[in-house]
Amino acid sequence: MGGAFVSDSPIFDVRDVSFAYENVPALRGTSLCIAPGQSVALLGANGSGKSTLLRLLDALCFPSSGSIDFRGESLTPYRLRDEQFAFSFRRQVGLVFQNPDVQLFNPTVFDEVAFGPLQMGWTSPEIVTRVNAALETMAIAHLRERGPYRLSGGEKKRVALASVIVLDPEVLLLDEPTSMLDPRSQSQIIDLIQNWKGTSKTVVTATHQLEIVEDIADRVVVLEQGSVIADGTPPEILSNGELLLRANLVHAHRHKHGDIVHSHPHLHSHGQHEH
Amino acid sequence: MTGNRALPSTLVGLARTFAHALAAEDLARQPGLLQSLDPRVRLIGISSLVLAALLAHRIAVIAGLFVVAVALALFSHVRLATLAVRVWLVVLLFTGIIGLPALFLTPGSFLVTSSGTVLPITLQGLNSAILLIARVETAATLTTVLVLTTPWMALLKSFRALRVPPEVVMMLAMTHRYVFLLAETAGQMFESRQSRTVGVLDRTAQRHMASRTAGVLLSKSIELSNDVFLAMQSRGFRGDAKVLTEFRMRAFDYLSLIAFVTVGVAAAWVGRS
Amino acid sequence: MHIPDGYLSPSTCAVLYVGAGVGWYGALRRVKSAFTTRLIPLISVFAAFSFVLMMFNLPLPGGTTGHAVGVTIASIVLGPAGSILAISIALAIQALFFGDGGITTLGANCFNMAIVSSLVAYAAYRIIAGGAALVSRRRVVAAAIAGYLAVNAAALCAAVEFGIQPMLFHTAQGVPLYAPYPLHIAIPAMMIGHLAVAGVAEAAITAGLVAYLQSADSALLQRTSGGPASSPTSEPGSPHRSLRRLWLTVALLLLLTPLGILVAGTAWGEWKASEFSSSQGRDRIAAASQQQPPPDEAPQGLQRLSTIWTAPLPAYAPQFVKSRSVGYLLSAMFGTGLLLTFSWIVQSCLRRVATDHSG
Repeated sequence: MGGAFVSDSPIFDVRDVSFAYENVPALRGTSLCIAPGQSVALLGANGSGKSTLLRLLDALCFPSSGSIDFRGESLTPYRLRDEQFAFSFRRQVGLVFQNPDVQLFNPTVFDEVAFGPLQMGWTSPEIVTRVNAALETMAIAHLRERGPYRLSGGEKKRVALASVIVLDPEVLLLDEPTSMLDPRSQSQIIDLIQNWKGTSKTVVTATHQLEIVEDIADRVVVLEQGSVIADGTPPEILSNGELLLRANLVHAHRHKHGDIVHSHPHLHSHGQHEH
Repeated sequence: MTGNRALPSTLVGLARTFAHALAAEDLARQPGLLQSLDPRVRLIGISSLVLAALLAHRIAVIAGLFVVAVALALFSHVRLATLAVRVWLVVLLFTGIIGLPALFLTPGSFLVTSSGTVLPITLQGLNSAILLIARVETAATLTTVLVLTTPWMALLKSFRALRVPPEVVMMLAMTHRYVFLLAETAGQMFESRQSRTVGVLDRTAQRHMASRTAGVLLSKSIELSNDVFLAMQSRGFRGDAKVLTEFRMRAFDYLSLIAFVTVGVAAAWVGRS
Repeated sequence: MHIPDGYLSPSTCAVLYVGAGVGWYGALRRVKSAFTTRLIPLISVFAAFSFVLMMFNLPLPGGTTGHAVGVTIASIVLGPAGSILAISIALAIQALFFGDGGITTLGANCFNMAIVSSLVAYAAYRIIAGGAALVSRRRVVAAAIAGYLAVNAAALCAAVEFGIQPMLFHTAQGVPLYAPYPLHIAIPAMMIGHLAVAGVAEAAITAGLVAYLQSADSALLQRTSGGPASSPTSEPGSPHRSLRRLWLTVALLLLLTPLGILVAGTAWGEWKASEFSSSQGRDRIAAASQQQPPPDEAPQGLQRLSTIWTAPLPAYAPQFVKSRSVGYLLSAMFGTGLLLTFSWIVQSCLRRVATDHSG
């Protein structure tokens, strides 16, 4: 049974956190510890609270009860008002939003990727070098003068990623990075996340797509209606059909084999399923 | 007026937005005279020519400035056909219509033909109409050439040279970016509503549909701005707008600036009445 | 209503750029002082929304189609400062990126459609809506009226700007150098289109949007509702509150100035020294003073004082304006405009003083 991976100095320590959007609860009493270097998949259906949790981890909003510590520092509005801490935190932790249009608010790709470094106060030559490097890494250097409205879904996601990795963060929070992408773009993103998996970077990926979990994570946390209901390795979680059904990650419908009617949880997209 | 004509024309307007932007982007990449200049020089230079066209009172001088404008266009790979359709014909139509009554209404000395007939047109009216059209055509040509050859972000950054506050530059950039997103969203909403509607809607229903579309667009816009703010904060935005400017003036830029301003001042001086 | 380059003289453009600059400066300070840098993306998105809205071709009662500007809904949701910035940005993009509207006339266009409109829209909305509940029908009606007034106020400003061109800028032979039509042609020509079409379009769209927001997200109407939550930077009883009431009143008076034209004759006591010597003047003075005959000569004090100061606009009518009533209106607008600008500046300074002392 996969218990919480507690280490001596977790990078994130989420303790009994609750959060509501205008009286609609999104997280109820969630607790979680993430160790540095882990690759975590936050698994849950839409509305389970994954996006909210990521935003809380990025200190974009703050819990109504409970606390979140980052490297031992408590993330509070007061703490974030300190400019030095804020800049340090924002550089170390990067969040890629689910909807790339939200994150592409500059007129060209180059300016978009340069936005973060510019806010951090880097010098112009440094910014130009680093931006070009990030564009190369994401294979979008040819798009540097393009406006966002001319980009495809996959290109937008890569620009969004570039705009985050240019700061070289230690923690990457990814909200549904493969949603609404064509298969080739999806596999490109998955490759990227896999590259981070062995390194010292901590990656937390929120997704509802079971088929990518094994590739991108060595630990799975399952959320259902704002609470953590399971926490373990990918094989443990993915083989637990009842759990997945309860979390609304798979469906079950009846089908016939000859005269026998049965049902079991399954995914249509996951290759063959055995009886 | 039949029912469905208003909404499709809105769609056409929205589509033109993209077409224009694409054309401008392509043109801005070509190796031409204006494109090779620092954007600040372009902005100040062309503005001084427009100002000269306003200050000059003699039609000959304004015509000269028009020739300069066309020359700039040609050397910057702006096709004259584009200018003709986009600027010259449009201005002729609108300003022509606006200026036409001036021929008859301006007080002054009536024109007399060689055969002795007195026309209801005054000399002053004629001069005034010609002046107006000449000015508007020249100014519009100059600004269109500027806009077509300069990428939006470059233009915005050159505003910093005019001491425009960075918050304003930031807002201009963001707005430009989101105009396309909202135009696309609005276009999609109209299209989907049209396809779901059987038959011709009456005018009130159309108006209500436009109203509802505007309402949904507004809600989405505001929601979008909330998320954009979070995204900005996530990358370190704390309220200080910063703009990355990498412009460097070369000798050619200085010379061009001097040339522009000289032509402008000369035109204004010679053209004073 | 977007004025292209060439219709306004450089000096007119310069004056209106200065006027617009004052409005922009005040609006920007207000936005920055409100501690909500969140307004930056909000204003940007609103500007984009206004831009797209201006493209909507709205079928109107009467068989015409018209375009709305969106300045009224911007004033209602963002407040006048945010609206000034949002609409100005939309206009700037139209002019600089799409070539709609001139660059020398950008100041004028912003002055008319962003600044005057926003202030009129906000004042009218606040006054008519009063303290009504956020979701009341009264607010929808207030929004419609505010929209109608705002667009027509902008059109009137533009018409005046056009109309004074031939009088002020012409050659010695009488050739108008810029816009060729005097006020008595320009004003009716512009106003008819806006009173009948554009104003209706703005009213219809604004009412529709307010009604929509009332059901979809009424919190967005909070900022201009007049309740305690609507002005986060003001403390109760602060000096800027009473100033705000002052300029709201002035805005209302501006709207009512045309009524002054209906009043004929001169006000009692406001006679020129020369009226005492002409028989017509003497008759007028007597009639106003219950048939008491006036003295044979103007009082000495009046004689002396009347030569000290010659007002720039004597008799409320600039010399070049032939029609008396239009001259009256023009001066009223000019004077009110000065007052509004002045009170805006004073307001901003007072607020700065208040925050300096409380900070």
